[in-house]
Formats: sequence, C-alpha cells, structure tokens
Amino acid sequence: MTSAPTLREGVVDLVVDDVTLRFGGITALDGVSFTVAPGTVHALIGPNGAGKSSCFNVISGLYRPTEGRVRLGEQVLTDLRPHRLAALGVGRSFQNIALSPGSTVRDNVMLGRHSLTRGGFLSGGLRLGSKTERKHLARVEEICDFLGVADRLDSPVSALPYGVAKRVDIARALACEPILLLLDEPAAGLDGTETAEMAVTISELRDALGISVLLVEHDMGLVMGIADRVTVLDFGRLIADGVPSEVQSDPAVISAYLGVGAEEEN
Amino acid sequence: MSDTITEAPPSVPRPVAAPKKRNWIKIAATVLLVLFLVALPILTGSQVAYLKVAQYILIGTVGGIGLTLLVGQAGQLSLAHPFFLLVGAVSYAVLAGDPAESPGLVGLGFPPLLAVIGAVVICGLVGLAFAPVAGRLRGIYLGVASLSLVFLGLWLGQSLELFTGGTSSGRPPPTFELFGFAFSTTTPAPTIAGVPIQKQQRLWYLFLVFALGAYFLARGAINSRIGRSWRAVRDNEAAATAMGVNVARVKAGAFTISSAFAGLAGVMTALWLDLVKPDENEFTGNYSLTVAIAFLAIVIIGGLGSVPGAVVGAIVVYGLQQFFLLGANQFGWFADAQFGGLSAVILSAFVYGAAVVLVVLFEPGGAAAIGRRLTSRFTPRKER
Repeated sequence: MTSAPTLREGVVDLVVDDVTLRFGGITALDGVSFTVAPGTVHALIGPNGAGKSSCFNVISGLYRPTEGRVRLGEQVLTDLRPHRLAALGVGRSFQNIALSPGSTVRDNVMLGRHSLTRGGFLSGGLRLGSKTERKHLARVEEICDFLGVADRLDSPVSALPYGVAKRVDIARALACEPILLLLDEPAAGLDGTETAEMAVTISELRDALGISVLLVEHDMGLVMGIADRVTVLDFGRLIADGVPSEVQSDPAVISAYLGVGAEEEN
Repeated sequence: MSDTITEAPPSVPRPVAAPKKRNWIKIAATVLLVLFLVALPILTGSQVAYLKVAQYILIGTVGGIGLTLLVGQAGQLSLAHPFFLLVGAVSYAVLAGDPAESPGLVGLGFPPLLAVIGAVVICGLVGLAFAPVAGRLRGIYLGVASLSLVFLGLWLGQSLELFTGGTSSGRPPPTFELFGFAFSTTTPAPTIAGVPIQKQQRLWYLFLVFALGAYFLARGAINSRIGRSWRAVRDNEAAATAMGVNVARVKAGAFTISSAFAGLAGVMTALWLDLVKPDENEFTGNYSLTVAIAFLAIVIIGGLGSVPGAVVGAIVVYGLQQFFLLGANQFGWFADAQFGGLSAVILSAFVYGAAVVLVVLFEPGGAAAIGRRLTSRFTPRKER
C-alpha cells in the first residue's frame, strides 16, 4: 500500500479488546479483539449479519458491550457516554446519510465543530462568538474543498445527489478534527465511478491528515484496494485479521463468503 | 490531546471568502419597518384600541418565537405554552406585588424589572423541571404529555388563590417601572408630535423592546452552535451524539428556553390585560387549550422553526382575533342574530384554522417559505 504518512499529533492505536455483545439470547459479537494501528486504513468486513455494524456501534459508543472494552490509546471509550467521543478525536460517518436535510452543507459540516467550540443560548443569541465562528467556518470550507463539495456550501442537503451528500457526511466527520475516522459503508449506494472516487478520497485523506481510518464495507474492490489491514467477522466471531492478500487467500474467509454467495461480493 | 485538534490545516490554504455583499434592499426594508413600529403610537393617535391590537400581536410574537424554537428547531412538540404564560404572569404579580396594596395575597415587592427577569427565570426552571418527560417522549406523545401541564395550570391557578387571586377577581399586576419611570398614565405626559405618551403608548414601547430582544436573541441562537445542535437532535439523535452533542441536555435546554420566552409573553399578557386571573375552565381564557392551539397555529402558519415566520403567524392568529374583537366593540360586528352567535374569537379561530389547512396543503414551509421565494426574486442569484 502507500508509504507511511506523517501522523497527526496524538494519533494512537484503537484496541478492541475481547468485546462480547449480547442482545437477549443472541450473541452479536463473541470475544472480538483487533487493533487499528495509528495511521492505517483498517477495514472491517464480513458477510451480512456477521456483526460488523454491531462492532462499529460498540466502538462509536452507541452500544455498550456486554463484556470487554474498547481503548483509544490509554482512554477506555466504553466507559464514556457516547457524546464524549467526538472531543477525544473519534469522527464518524453514517451508512444512510444522517444529515439535516433542510440545512445547508455549511451548517451541517459546522455541526462537526460542536465539540471544538463552546457556547449556549445566550452567547449565541448575543453573537458573542462570531469571531471564532468565522475561524471555524473558514476551516469548514477547507474541509469541504478537500472533499470536493466546496461549490455546494450554500445548498440544502436535500437538493444534493446521493453521492455528494455522502461526501458531506464524511466532511462533517472530518470537521471534528478526528484522530480516528469511522466510516460506515462509505461506498453504499454509490455507482462504480463514485466508489472509485471515494476510494481515492479515503486514501488521500489518510495521507494528508495522518489519521487512522476504520471502515465497514461491502465493496471488496474498495476494501482490497485501499485497506492496509482487514479484519473479517463471521457470526460475531473474528475469523481472520491481516493484510488484504493474506485475508483473501484465507480458507476460513473463503468458506464464509462462499456460504453466503461469493458471486455477490466479488 | 485537545491541542492537537486545532493544528494547522494540512490541505493547501485557500483564500478566505470575500466578505458578503450587503443586501441594501433588506437593510432598507428593516429600517423602514422599525421606523414604522416606533412611530405606531403617533400613527394611531387617540385610537388606542388599534395600539392594543398591535400590543397583543407582540405578545403572540414573543410566545410564538419561543414555541417555534422548540417545535421547529429542536423538534419537540409542546402544547404547554399557556401553562408557562400563566406561570410567568403569576410570578411577575407575586414578585413585584406590594403586600400593602393587595392584602391577603402574596407579594414580595421586588422592583418590576427584577420581577420580569425573575418571572422569566422561574418559567425557564419550571420548563427544565419538565425535561425528564420532554427528553423521553417524542412527537405527538410529548404533545399530549405537555398538554397535561395546561390542566395542571388550571388547577393550580384555581387552588393557589394566595398567589393568583382566584378565578373570581384575580389580582392586578404591579405597574411596570423602569428607574422611576412608570408605565402608567401621568399628568403631565410627554408628547411626541402632539400625541401624549400615556400608559398604552409606553406599554407599546416596552413590548416592542421585549419583542425585538426576543427576535434578536432567537435569530442569533439559531445561527450559532446551539441552533445547530437543536437541528441535529431534531433530525438524527445518533448523528448528533456522534458529533459530540449531549442530546438529553440539548433537549432540556430547548424546553427551558422556550418556557422562558412563554414566561415573558405571560408577563406581557398580565400587563396588557392589567389583570392576572386564572381561567375558569380549560377551554376559554388566556391560559387555556385554545391558546395552546393558537400558538401552534402561529408556528405552523409562520413555518416551523422560522423566527420571522412566527411574527407573521402572530399577526394572523393574534392580530385577527383582536381585530374582530375591535370590530365587535367599535362597530357592532357579530351583534346581529344572523351571525348565529358567531363571536369574534370563534370567527378568528375559523380563519386561522383555514390558514393552517391551506399552509399544510399548499406550502408546508409556511410564511417563511413564501417569504424566501419572494426575496429570492429581488436578490442576485448565487451560483450553485
């Protein structure tokens, strides 16, 4: 893959440590452990129902694991309330674009600055922070420029094509100035060209920012093309963890995918 | 770790966007409008009844702005607005009330300005106390739960006569005073262009300051960090959380702020009526279900979440009602039997009810969307 980029200061490894997640009698995750090394693009894959999304939601704090924990450097994420993660440098995008449709691109991406800014009703109402606001707006424009959506800053999200909205969602996650970027199926719903562009964007943003990226993805082309390391889940268990070429030839992975229809995935 | 997040951007720095061109038409229109509002007591002259209508619209404006922030921006349906109006009105009367003037009633004798601030703060705190409910319920369920507060207000208003004065007589709200300047009729009165500035004219200016302040604060809040967090919570709680928004706290805050606006509208209602009197039943009165629906109509007609829209809504809903009442009192409208007992209040309810239906059918964005469409014709189109 690409040569090691200069890391953003403070980028540390994300350790998923023996995480088990049960819903009633169903075990969604069963003792899953892996590490996202600093500055790598790490892919989490697996057939449908393998527990990818559950794992993702545990990392981003939406689910609390039944056992085990997730660490970002020294900080145990699973002890924290989920809204605290953004301030620690965890940015996340969503599979089904979770933006405010009626608001402009600028407004949506500015939400990503929430944990970097302060101020409530009175300071906003009295316009006390308008100077810092402008500084953050300038940064938001840079981020949007980086993702190629700077020409849409004043458009409402509802007026955007799906592929563009998807990039806005990632722009918002980047606006948190993350050290770890979580991407939930960044290529879902995109056509071939858009998927290829997304792959380039993900590699570029990792190289330019020097941050770690963890992505859940169905598109094997995208995963094998850009990931430095791949973790494969099946039925809530980790069945493989290694560089793409290694994982691709792993018999356990092949049988897991063949069982669910390898034609689709390739 | 926090010092890493403000590091220099890695991408090529691009020139900071050129300062926005001022929209002179908009500025001129705003100046004209403010001049008109300031000159209104002179324009109405001795016809104080018209000024009372305008004052009432400002009450609807302040309350409507509070509700549009909650319903439109933060996505929490509330029908409890009249309850907070009542709390605001009673709090003002209790805080500023002079025990010597109203024996048998609780009065703390605070300066009126302090009492207004106190009433607004109390309403905010009561709203905050409702937060555990508001944070757990959504949509119509929250609407119904909040409706219970109106009934609670009805019962408290009737049973706590020491504070409210009871349903039969009520209690007079203390005259508003600012540094010794009383908002009441005096002799001699200052005049502007030959029009004496008496109690109603003074109240108009007081209400205008309240309404402009509410408008300014709400607009600023919507365009700032708190406004973004409201919209994020409204549209997707999971995404809001991922961006660092404390959803429970933002919801509670929105309810608190909305209640504080309603509290100010309550103080204004007391001053406007020159009376604080709890309702006799839940359907009619100044703090009743009818008022809850009227405020919701203001918000819908204006366009959910739009502050200028709330002003338009207040003109339609609160303005029409007083306009018809004025017609009834001055010109004897609705006096004929052929109207079949159609009163001014009922007729205005029909009119704004129809307006709500039309808005929902043809322009769900309300007056705000219509306004945007009109102004976009007069402003240079931005390149997309």
